[in-house]
Amino acid sequence: MSDAGAVVAELIPPEQGGKKRREDGIDAPEIPLLFRIIATITFIYLLLPVVIVVLSGLNSGNYLTFPPEGLSLRWVQAFLTSDVFLPAYLFSLRLAFSVMIVSTLFGTMAAIFLTRVSFPGRNFVRAFFMAPLLLPGLVLGLALYVYYLNVPFFGLSRTFGGMLIGHLLVTMPFVIGTVSAALYGFDRSLEEAARSLGANPFKAFMSITLPNIKSGITAGALFAFIVSFGQFDLSLMLSTPNNTPLPFAMYNSLRYQFEPTAAAAGVFAIALVVVSMVLTARITNLSSFGGIKFS
Amino acid sequence: MASTAAQPPSVVVPQGEKRTRDLRANRTVLLIIPAAFIFIVFFVAPVAVMLAMAFNPSEVGLVGFSLNDLTLETFVRFFQKQLYWGSLLRSVWLAVLAAAIALVLGYPLAYLVAKEQRPGRANLYMILILASMQLDLIIRMYGFMILLGDQGLINDTLMRTGLISGPLPLMYNTLGVVIGMVQLALPFMILSLIGVIQGINPSLEEAARSLGASPWKTFFSITFPMSMPGVMAGSLLVFAIAIGSYAVPVLMGGWRVVVMPMHIYQQVNEVGNWRFGAAIACILFAVSLAVVFVYHRYTEKYMGGLA
Repeated sequence: MSDAGAVVAELIPPEQGGKKRREDGIDAPEIPLLFRIIATITFIYLLLPVVIVVLSGLNSGNYLTFPPEGLSLRWVQAFLTSDVFLPAYLFSLRLAFSVMIVSTLFGTMAAIFLTRVSFPGRNFVRAFFMAPLLLPGLVLGLALYVYYLNVPFFGLSRTFGGMLIGHLLVTMPFVIGTVSAALYGFDRSLEEAARSLGANPFKAFMSITLPNIKSGITAGALFAFIVSFGQFDLSLMLSTPNNTPLPFAMYNSLRYQFEPTAAAAGVFAIALVVVSMVLTARITNLSSFGGIKFS
Repeated sequence: MASTAAQPPSVVVPQGEKRTRDLRANRTVLLIIPAAFIFIVFFVAPVAVMLAMAFNPSEVGLVGFSLNDLTLETFVRFFQKQLYWGSLLRSVWLAVLAAAIALVLGYPLAYLVAKEQRPGRANLYMILILASMQLDLIIRMYGFMILLGDQGLINDTLMRTGLISGPLPLMYNTLGVVIGMVQLALPFMILSLIGVIQGINPSLEEAARSLGASPWKTFFSITFPMSMPGVMAGSLLVFAIAIGSYAVPVLMGGWRVVVMPMHIYQQVNEVGNWRFGAAIACILFAVSLAVVFVYHRYTEKYMGGLA
């Protein structure tokens, strides 16, 4: 009994001891100091602009100075009463939500087909669905703009639908990528077992496969939402005065002057991303985002 | 791996069963139809139209295209004027630079996240990386403008404390554009790397260590070579993102660093020369595709299709 206790004590060092060991780099796999330093710099580099925007949006002065003058909600209020930024924010939200639904549905269907049915040229088709990511957004926007004008049959020129389609093209690759990765990781014999026990294909899919690839689908949906919400280069060619997404409205104001209202709009956009990220982290495993292959 | 598993079995299948299998395969095709429809009608066709247009003689104000009047005029014009081909070289150079910097900055962070044992901490890292990537690009560039502008936070603070007399040129130049491009593309590099580094069997590193290799030697002879697929995929992605970006050079370069996408926008929206704009767009796309092609050849040749 006491022997076992001693072994456990040795295996699980007290809290302080554990920390010390971690600092020595013995407990965790060793990571060179230089790596830790660069990783810290990278984190700062990634997050600094975000922090700056939040500070400017909540700053009381007209310009952000160091040290900040003080906190105030005046720019938030200006955003909430703005007839430029608020409609743009709501438009972006509506667009991103529609894109997310359609893209997730069609992308998941395509991913199932591409992982389960083997046919000649499958790798080519898979690469084909990733191609919009390699086409610069501005080029895709130009191609669609010209196409809509040349093919009036669709009636998509300068419409919400035309923009939605552009966004589908750049978000579906993410959905196909994350869902395919989840499907590869899923042991298909589980579904076959359900089938052999008498479930029809639809039921087997819904009750066995779907719960298992849920995290891939969630990751894809989140990607679709946020890639659409932040899409700029494509919207540059396809937006119209009535259909102005938030990034475009912000760009228009930033070209001429720094407007803290834009920063306040940015704070709301940041809040949206953070909330959706935290929610996603609660319902799914974030490592499924690492499963995307872009080529 | 999965493709071999899905190969049709070589055993003789009874006729009835074969028919249901075919039927099921036919029904499965329905899954791909919506996506295929969107991609063919709204991706392949528009790109084809743009390509056709690029080979029409340039004419201001004309958005239409014709297949009877094909010429190389627009392309000749592009490669005759230094203004245009110079921007192509600049675009490629900036994108290569962005990919190299993103690799140097991104690898250590990806390594840190991949090797993190505590799930809570790993999740936090992932949230931060994904949040930084998914935030609107314009917002992030806005943050840099507040920070690096001539009257920005850094210059303002330094000038008020009297350390410098005039503003440091931190943006509205090549430096600013590279800072913006790397920020834009870095998360994609990190995400490409994390999965690959996690997939390396840790016992290989342990074996090298136990045989007396130093941590750095282990890294450069085991870990880094084995993560090459991720390095290649990430660099390619960063290159493609950086070379195609319009907003970053405009906002961070203040029209002083002229790259290809800016010429496209200018030709289309300011000059109204759609055909010449389409030609520049085609050249930009061709460069991206060429890089992908070279990348695939390279990975097939040297890594046996690991990537």
